[in-house]
Amino acid sequence: MKIAVCAKQIPDPAIQVTYSNGTIERPEEQVLDDTDRYGIEVALQLKERFDAEVTIISMGPSGTQKGLQQALQMGADKAVFVDDESLKGANSLMTANVLSELAKFLLADIVIFGTESTDGYSGTVPQQVSRYLDIECISYVKAIEVNENVTLTRQTVEGSEKVNMPDKCVISVTAGGVEPRYPNFKDIMAAKSKPIEQVSISDLNINSTQNLEFIDIETVENSKTGEKIIDEGEAYQVIVNKLKELKVI
Amino acid sequence: MKTLIIGEIINNNLSSGTLEILSKAKSLELDVQVITVGSDENPSIGLDLCKQTYLKRQSNSLNISKAATKISEIIKNEEINLILGSSTYMCRDLISFLSVDLNSSPVSNVIDFDVTSENVSTVNSINGGESLYKTKINSDKTLLLIRPKAFDPAEVNFNDDFETIDLDGSDIEVFDIFIEEKSGPQLEDSKVVISAGRGMVDKDNLELIETLASKLNAAIGGTRAIVDAGWMPYSQQVGQTGKTVKPDVYIACGISGATQHQVGMKDSKFVIAINKDEEAPIFQLADLGIVGDTLSVIPKLNDNI
Repeated sequence: MKIAVCAKQIPDPAIQVTYSNGTIERPEEQVLDDTDRYGIEVALQLKERFDAEVTIISMGPSGTQKGLQQALQMGADKAVFVDDESLKGANSLMTANVLSELAKFLLADIVIFGTESTDGYSGTVPQQVSRYLDIECISYVKAIEVNENVTLTRQTVEGSEKVNMPDKCVISVTAGGVEPRYPNFKDIMAAKSKPIEQVSISDLNINSTQNLEFIDIETVENSKTGEKIIDEGEAYQVIVNKLKELKVI
Repeated sequence: MKTLIIGEIINNNLSSGTLEILSKAKSLELDVQVITVGSDENPSIGLDLCKQTYLKRQSNSLNISKAATKISEIIKNEEINLILGSSTYMCRDLISFLSVDLNSSPVSNVIDFDVTSENVSTVNSINGGESLYKTKINSDKTLLLIRPKAFDPAEVNFNDDFETIDLDGSDIEVFDIFIEEKSGPQLEDSKVVISAGRGMVDKDNLELIETLASKLNAAIGGTRAIVDAGWMPYSQQVGQTGKTVKPDVYIACGISGATQHQVGMKDSKFVIAINKDEEAPIFQLADLGIVGDTLSVIPKLNDNI
């Protein structure tokens, strides 16, 4: 079994993202999106059961490759990425187009994602990749049981449902679905010798277009000048009075 | 502009998200029809405002991709240019599949849009609502995923006048379907929402929130941090990647107010925030801010309400 799992390098999420001409500014050093740790964990659980090969796929400015290293430290075998100036500000469809081509290049049976990235949060790429690959998408997976079969539990609007993982599919994993493993010192050292390969966009079949045009970013003033009270033990009374005034109680 | 709204069924009627988009489409005087995807046996989803088609799928088969194929066919046959769906689990799947079929990237997290004879433009809220990101769509087919609560819902009369198309199943069987018990107020439509963040310190302390919620008849939400920590199911997450709420009163307990959380609650009418950190961003959105330990304030509220 060959597994491709997506890892996006994003600016440190502790710092608010900044935009330049509508595109997120990306520093040289980017980190692994925490969202992807859940997908990588699922890939590693499958690897343990099926002796699968797990390859990280990524698109975007590679920079110091810190985020890719973090993905490899968790236990993936290798990484392939596409980094091309023409992909700057790529929309979700173009991103999915590139990642699906990488999955094809790797002959991946199973392609795994987080549900949405922390910086772009479009939340459509996993499903788009499945459509490009013409395989089903098991979306919003919140639990995995690896036994004889692999059973995936999907989040639905009403609750949840289960499916058995087919031989080929795309899986998107919700944050909190599994417990991502932390690499130890040995894992961190081992990751340094794992292969990271750049794939040229000219080797991929890209037919999507940049149909979304950035117009403007407008700042809105939405800070309120509310009442602020330091609690010295009696502040609850202010809340109670306010709730009465608002007719909640 | 010929417009298609992808509808979703909740409680045998159209979801509020669907009705919100319908009201916006009507206000723009678009030539609109609705195609609803669901597995309910006899939903009451016919509309007096426009044409309704029901794509009926089997609940025991994962065949949302088949629904997308059928919708793509209709879009091409009827030369539909604008396709709208609410940012729900199912619509995100459908719009994503359609975007590949129609070779047009969708716009996600839309909070407003406009249609002229020339093109469609959209507005997204970014950086926790501090900025509005505006996009123009330069393609023949435009696909938008719209955040819930962006518009007021249309007032409609439901009837039984609609065409039903039965969809084929897929090879992927669905089993152990679990319907979450919907006891108590639901996040999306409750007048009072109490949300918990990391400041609650420990999962066991959520009992304090539950007690307060039952006293105020409130729904309970949480930040992504505590959902990730497994304290609450994903379905209760408020924010960018979770639900959008707009209650009369929102009580944020131990929430610092990351921009991703703000997006999901900033339109609440009255915000009460309790947080130890005086500098927490949540206070910028609060009508009433209490700088204090939420673990000491909530028990007192529970004793005095």
